[in-house]
Amino acid sequence: MKYLNQPIEEIHKLLKAKKIKPIDLVEEAFDNIEKSDCNAYITLNKEEALKEAKELESLPVDNILFGLPIAVKDNIVTKNLRTTCASHMLENFIPIYNATVVEKIKEKHMIIIGKTNMDEFAMGSSSRTSYFGAPHNPWNKDKISGGSSGGSASTIAARDVLFALGSDTGGSIRQPASYTGIVGMKPTYGRVSRYGLVAFASSLDQIGPMTKNVYENALLLNAIVGHDEKDLTSAKKEEEDFTKLIGKSIKGKKIAIPNYFVSDIVDDEIIDKIKETEKTLEKLGAKVDYIDMKYLEHAVTLYQIIAMGEASSNLARFDGIRYGHSKENPKDIRDLYFGTRAEGFGKEVKRRIMVGSYLLSGENAREYFYKALSIRDDMKQEFKNVFKDYDYIIGPTTTTTAYLLTDPMDDPSKSFMDDVLVIPVNMAGLPGLNIPIGFDKNHMPIGMQIIANSFEEAKIYSLASALEKELNLDLNPYGGEKNE
Amino acid sequence: MSNYIATIGVEVHVELKTKTKIFSSSENGYGQMANSLTNVIDLGYPGTLPTLNEEVLNLAIKAATVLNCKIRREMHFDRKNYFYPDNPKNYQITQFATPIGYDGYVEIEVDGEKKKVYIEEMHIEEDTCKSTHRGEKTLLDFNRAGVPLIEIVTKPCMTTSKEAKAYLEKLRELLFYSDISDCKMEEGSMRADANVSIRKKESDPFGTKAEIKNIGSISNVGLSIEKEIERQAKIYDAGDTFKPQTRRFDDKLGDTVLMRVKETGNDYRYFPEPDIPFVIVTEERIDSVRKTIPMLPDERREKYLSLGVSEINTKKLIQNRSLSDYFNNLLEEKISHQTASNLLLGDISAYLNKKEKEITDTTLSKERFIELVNLIDNNTLTSKNLKEILEVILESDKSIQTIMKEQGIENITDDAEIREVIKKIIKANPESVTDYQNGHDRAIKFLMGQVMKETKGKANPKMANDILKEELQ
Repeated sequence: MKYLNQPIEEIHKLLKAKKIKPIDLVEEAFDNIEKSDCNAYITLNKEEALKEAKELESLPVDNILFGLPIAVKDNIVTKNLRTTCASHMLENFIPIYNATVVEKIKEKHMIIIGKTNMDEFAMGSSSRTSYFGAPHNPWNKDKISGGSSGGSASTIAARDVLFALGSDTGGSIRQPASYTGIVGMKPTYGRVSRYGLVAFASSLDQIGPMTKNVYENALLLNAIVGHDEKDLTSAKKEEEDFTKLIGKSIKGKKIAIPNYFVSDIVDDEIIDKIKETEKTLEKLGAKVDYIDMKYLEHAVTLYQIIAMGEASSNLARFDGIRYGHSKENPKDIRDLYFGTRAEGFGKEVKRRIMVGSYLLSGENAREYFYKALSIRDDMKQEFKNVFKDYDYIIGPTTTTTAYLLTDPMDDPSKSFMDDVLVIPVNMAGLPGLNIPIGFDKNHMPIGMQIIANSFEEAKIYSLASALEKELNLDLNPYGGEKNE
Repeated sequence: MSNYIATIGVEVHVELKTKTKIFSSSENGYGQMANSLTNVIDLGYPGTLPTLNEEVLNLAIKAATVLNCKIRREMHFDRKNYFYPDNPKNYQITQFATPIGYDGYVEIEVDGEKKKVYIEEMHIEEDTCKSTHRGEKTLLDFNRAGVPLIEIVTKPCMTTSKEAKAYLEKLRELLFYSDISDCKMEEGSMRADANVSIRKKESDPFGTKAEIKNIGSISNVGLSIEKEIERQAKIYDAGDTFKPQTRRFDDKLGDTVLMRVKETGNDYRYFPEPDIPFVIVTEERIDSVRKTIPMLPDERREKYLSLGVSEINTKKLIQNRSLSDYFNNLLEEKISHQTASNLLLGDISAYLNKKEKEITDTTLSKERFIELVNLIDNNTLTSKNLKEILEVILESDKSIQTIMKEQGIENITDDAEIREVIKKIIKANPESVTDYQNGHDRAIKFLMGQVMKETKGKANPKMANDILKEELQ
């Protein structure tokens, strides 16, 4: 009997009635993971998960997430559970503390099933920079599941578990969600504590939920948000139920599609699907306009400068002295630094550290980095201006559907172009969500991005759920998930 | 050396006296077991983020105020990126673009002349960890990592080692008095670097600069500056030049030694710290911090002198913060402040040093101290007798008069009684009276001795002396 493919309310009812136990779900999850065989995990938490599931049996089923397995991206630190960031540098790193989000999901008595595969230190867009090999896309195992949260996307798409956490610095939740046909939310910057998220680009990083549908996504977001005194950039906001607008009519909502989002950088098939969706939205009573937005075409450049600059500093701590990989028998301190970092980091990470260091070096800081920070402010303002007139901005999440794992990786700028449509949202600190809207001719998922103003996640879920219901797609790669 | 004009600037790092570190909740302590005051944040563990200790901001605002600096109302922190084993994140969180204080000054006095030393800027930053070299190995103690510091940078406005020393003395006095730092150079809670260059004339461009790092005491700052001026002068006199360089002061050599030549400016790749939002300093906050600043040394000095305390006592009192604070409670009292200061700096200090106590650890309340000062002042209690009963005075809370009585110290202050004894002594010692009248001063001492003998030491000496002189006329 399978339980994890049933609606969450059903599972909750069964748990509450003691018809099933958390351990049944945990065992099923490990079974699923093995069968899916997508290399979605770097570390499985089998022994501990089973033990925790046992312990939960004596506790009351006090919330809807109780006893449910969850996958956690491997750049979120978990006490006593190896956290590698998909890097040789941290191959044997066992953290001694929990990230705030991990504490929060533990409070809900969710069970961490394992740590998901990703691009090394979240640097990449296909999870192929992972030291542990790339995860596969369950829709076609020869294809990428996107990145950097590729493992989390893959395991959700494969229906191994209901919940996964990802992180999104320049599209790393939404883009893999799009490639794998799942729902992925990058919350407003500051919505979720970053404490315990191994930093890539601190001013952009944000943890978010990845799930198979909108409702479950909102439930997980409910669990992980909140001000954290350990993270000065986390926002003080009133508690809010993100499911509150789900099922509400979207009649009269005003939606903008920036022309850049449907320009020739995007595959025709995807543009067609967006136009179809536009019709659906209008049918539901929303009003859709095409608009011009400034700065969008510069977002990738700005992102590269800011993200790589910050990354070059954030990754400086990996020096072989206190934790992580350390060069054996170094001659001196210089040899320890050079040896440790040469051996420990992969090519893409080294490349970004070098470029980032260059961008911050001497006069370059003013020429590039500070200028980028200032244009980022202009870009934020541009978004704010649009939201004076519109409720949402939408567009495709990606320019193509998932491509082959064997496609060349030798052009580093290609990887950024995969994220060209998702990056502006990080630059502006806004919430953005991927919702599947159909398939291409090879039956690979196509995703749409919904963007709203800061802290308007509930509003995003409202539109996404309306669309989800109306489109009624079968989003299970193995079929049988269409509502009759 | 006299052929050259020196240009000197000083950079001082001061550890702030806070309970916890600047970016974590670890205790800020000195002399504890290595690595016992650390957590994942201090160690720069992956995923950790800094928090900001508000106490640090308050102390920095206080420091900016006592150093007459302008205070920045909106500021941020920056990352200073460099690899070094004592730098756990391999970047230091500091303030580069927006130092909290700027354009300040400190007034010093050198050879009777007052001068302002201008403060370029002062900023907040975190301390590094402490490394100890043991043979081939380097041991790291992270207790110091993340201890809050302020760095105070002067303009290159000093010209002599005396001025630099006076500045440091003054700085230490100010920061110590306003409870900002312990300012213990021997424990590293205050560390100084000096920048020195020389040139022939005021109109010449500045000479090549040498920076002398981490000098361990104020006197060594003076010494190293003098040695450095000498060294540079010798080079120029020989027609040579030298490259900008970093030097250190070697205690054993009593001279500066080269550490490294600066090839180009350091590239620290500064950028705004994204983990700490901008800090807004409100007017209210500055005001409330200002209210916590106690009376500063200059004001104390002025007050003490105006109350008739001698220069030397004033200086000594200010050197002893707790005595000075105690003394400040008495400023409004109608007593002899000179006597009060003598008492505090004399017998009481000796007692405190011997017992390793602070004045606040004794039973000497303000009221009892005033009683004591008055008893000394009107000669009811002689300093000889005071020595006998001082311990009791400082360890019980009975009134001084009661203690005197209990200890059998009487003081005859009755004029008639003393006069009677004196008349008797004069009659019995006619030769001494003659000697006195012939101008032999020693005679009066002899007669006084007889008086004291006769009264078993109980006659009030001042009164006895006065009456004796009267009677001898």
